[in-house]
Amino acid sequence: MQQIIDFIIRKKDVVVYLILLLFSLLLIINSNYFHKSKILLFSNSITNYTFDKFSFFNEYFELKKINSSLIDENLFLKSRLEKMSNNNNIDSLKNVIFKYKNAKVISNNLSSFKNHLIINKGADDGLKNEMGIINSTGIVGIINRTSKNYSSVMSILNIETKINAKVKRTSHFGTLEWDGLSNSYLLLNDIPETADIKVGDSIITGGMSLIFPEGINVGVVSEVINKNKHNDSLSRLNTNNGKYLDIEFRENYLNIEVKLHTNMNNLNNVYVIESLNREEFKNISK
Amino acid sequence: MASVYFLVFKRFIIFILLQGLIFNNFDFFGSFDPYIALVFILTFPIKINKITFLIASFCFGICLDLFSNSLGLNTAACLTAAFSRSYILSFVFGSFFDPLGLKLIKNYISDSSFSQKFLYLASIILIHHFVLFSLEAFSFEFFSLIIYKTFLTSLLTLTFCTTTIYIMIKNEK
Repeated sequence: MQQIIDFIIRKKDVVVYLILLLFSLLLIINSNYFHKSKILLFSNSITNYTFDKFSFFNEYFELKKINSSLIDENLFLKSRLEKMSNNNNIDSLKNVIFKYKNAKVISNNLSSFKNHLIINKGADDGLKNEMGIINSTGIVGIINRTSKNYSSVMSILNIETKINAKVKRTSHFGTLEWDGLSNSYLLLNDIPETADIKVGDSIITGGMSLIFPEGINVGVVSEVINKNKHNDSLSRLNTNNGKYLDIEFRENYLNIEVKLHTNMNNLNNVYVIESLNREEFKNISK
Repeated sequence: MASVYFLVFKRFIIFILLQGLIFNNFDFFGSFDPYIALVFILTFPIKINKITFLIASFCFGICLDLFSNSLGLNTAACLTAAFSRSYILSFVFGSFFDPLGLKLIKNYISDSSFSQKFLYLASIILIHHFVLFSLEAFSFEFFSLIIYKTFLTSLLTLTFCTTTIYIMIKNEK
């Protein structure tokens, strides 16, 4: 111990230099966006690699479940194929607006307000920002960042995600948002009060932004929150009940609680939706 | 001793203002700025002990960064230049260099050969620029670009620093 202290005292200028250098490097990394993103990319590539290897083992325990869900999906697709084959007039080349690619979730996070998933396909596989992600039961999220081999997906359980959706029975459009609390419920807002929404109605994607095709299952209505309610603020406070943080309840609009079909806890195989007309659509809607 | 600290403080302010307000906007041949602020580190009194020197150059770097909007880059570069200075001094000037600092910079200039002066200035400037540009690029991809920019900017800085030091010594007399 004495020798260590002696050494430090003898080399005190080196020690001071190293401490100050470390401090300045911290300054560089924290204050310059470019350096920060470079460090993040590097550390991300390491963690993604380990997640990838770890999920390889994890998959074995889930094989049974995955098999059964694949069989279900096969059955569903076969029934759709039969319906399609009856209708020979459709030119399959011209009508393709969405392409599907499969991918695997290698890390999934549910604990924060801005949850992200990582999937094992990236820019090399043709993935880009703003592509939708679904699985066999419903929607999962939207890609927000891609690296060479991996992509980060903004999950629907992210308070910044807004997805266009509609009520299947009445075709009323609204916006799906997450309240940041429960991981199996979303809120569908912006539906006019005059709409006749009942508990149990199915909610599907609206297809307005061309991220998701129209008609993908999202969930079912489990509660219509501010129906038959006076406009004074007191009763609104009562119905809000402190349950939904940060969500604004607007007058003359319904807020609908939607129970998700997708189980966000165990995601494994997902499909990436590439929308071929998305660029064209964005250009014209500018 | 107090007058030495006052001198250092005066130089600190002058060189930061010179670099931040005038020399950062030179832009020779597009993007080459002479780093005249390095004169502060090159002519820092040897009397003052090393740790004070390191801390002073750290603060100097931070102030430079505030002007050039790149927090941390100049700090690390100035710090490394300051740290390497004592080794370079003893390497270049050999037995002539006294760590106690009884000799003034004037003596170093009058009693040394041209190659010694050149080696001292060039090596510290090269170290500073190399650290600065490699931290700025932050990857080995641009290694040739870093080297190219280091050499060209060093040439500029060298000419400007030499003139500045001679002007300073003329005025001190």
